[in-house]
Amino acid sequence: MSKTQTKDSQSQGHSPLADAQGLLFGTSMCGLGIVILTHLGLVTGQTAGLAVLLSYVTGWSFGLVFFLVNLPFYWLGYARMGLRFTIKTFIAVAMLSMLSKFLGTQVVFSELTPWVGAIIFGFVTGAGLLALFRHGASLGGIGILGLYLQEKTGFRAGWTQLSFDACLFAVAFFVLPGSAFIWSLLGAVVVNFVIAINHRKDWYVAT
Amino acid sequence: MPAPMPIPTEYRQSHTPLEDAQGFAIALLTAATGIIFLSSLGFITGQTAGLALIIAYVTGWSFGTVFFLINLPFYAFAWKRLGAEFTLKSFFCVTALSLLVDYLPIGLQFETLNPILGTTIFGVLTGYGLLGVFRHKGSLGGLGVIALMIQDRTGFRAGYVQLIVDAVLFTVAFFLFDTRTVAFSLYGALILNGVIAFNHRRDVYIAD
Repeated sequence: MSKTQTKDSQSQGHSPLADAQGLLFGTSMCGLGIVILTHLGLVTGQTAGLAVLLSYVTGWSFGLVFFLVNLPFYWLGYARMGLRFTIKTFIAVAMLSMLSKFLGTQVVFSELTPWVGAIIFGFVTGAGLLALFRHGASLGGIGILGLYLQEKTGFRAGWTQLSFDACLFAVAFFVLPGSAFIWSLLGAVVVNFVIAINHRKDWYVAT
Repeated sequence: MPAPMPIPTEYRQSHTPLEDAQGFAIALLTAATGIIFLSSLGFITGQTAGLALIIAYVTGWSFGTVFFLINLPFYAFAWKRLGAEFTLKSFFCVTALSLLVDYLPIGLQFETLNPILGTTIFGVLTGYGLLGVFRHKGSLGGLGVIALMIQDRTGFRAGYVQLIVDAVLFTVAFFLFDTRTVAFSLYGALILNGVIAFNHRRDVYIAD
């Protein structure tokens, strides 16, 4: 990059290799987050939160449930966000599903204080999601539905996500012990805080 | 260390103090968690943290104590070479990391930790943590500063100094620990450096 950098060169493209390491990084981070979350018996928001909650209630593995609940959203993703985004999201979801299965048996805590775990969960999951977003992927689901509904009905995408999380946490309130509910909220707040402050297209200019 | 890439002022973004604070909090807790993964497995890594781990394993002292102490001499060099703000931020980062690595295990211990997954997680977490520290203009101290000073005095490239330091560390480790430990440690250092090499891009992340 020379001193004569112009506005055009501001939009840097990621090479396929850069995207590959971004997806690996993102899913590893989120995988560790899920291990911490499920070890503590907590939930979180969005599709991952739904999958965690369902896995607690049914006894099925998180990875399987997460993979399945995301399936209906891909056609929306394809229609609304394009092929590249949908393929990257499918890869990220599949990788996280498989990784969570390995990590669940190979990384086991003997000691994990809930508030410490909730904060580490928030930091690593926030970082993982940021990386996926920056590399044009996501962990599926509700965000895409939100965008679709906004386009069709004018109902704001942010409100769809918030309503979904409100329902999820309302159910969690009755399913989880009180302390787990509080730590789940802490974790979700930390994740959203990390993303809110650091998801900046003006700082991180590559696409 | 390559010269910082020039960013035209009209695109330059600054972090606010609050943004710096959250950056350091996230980066340091994540880096510390990574080192706990590594030290739970009894493995080492490169640079000052690697030296501290080797000394800690051999003497039985805590990582935090050793890491804090061996960084002390570097601040004098950093002050002259890199200025007060960088030195103070580095001192803060080193101190915080030392405390976190020593005290976080009160609430974070492993029953099972697969060495491949554990070292991978170390590389990803600590690489990410270092990136965060760099992006917010801090450092985790140490040998990088000496390397820069040597480059200034003699023209010998700082990157080579760091490479030689790591080669010496890993050679010493080869005699102190078993081959498996050294092999996994090398793998973890590779992941860590991969995360930094791919993502430490002044042209991609432009905020100061």
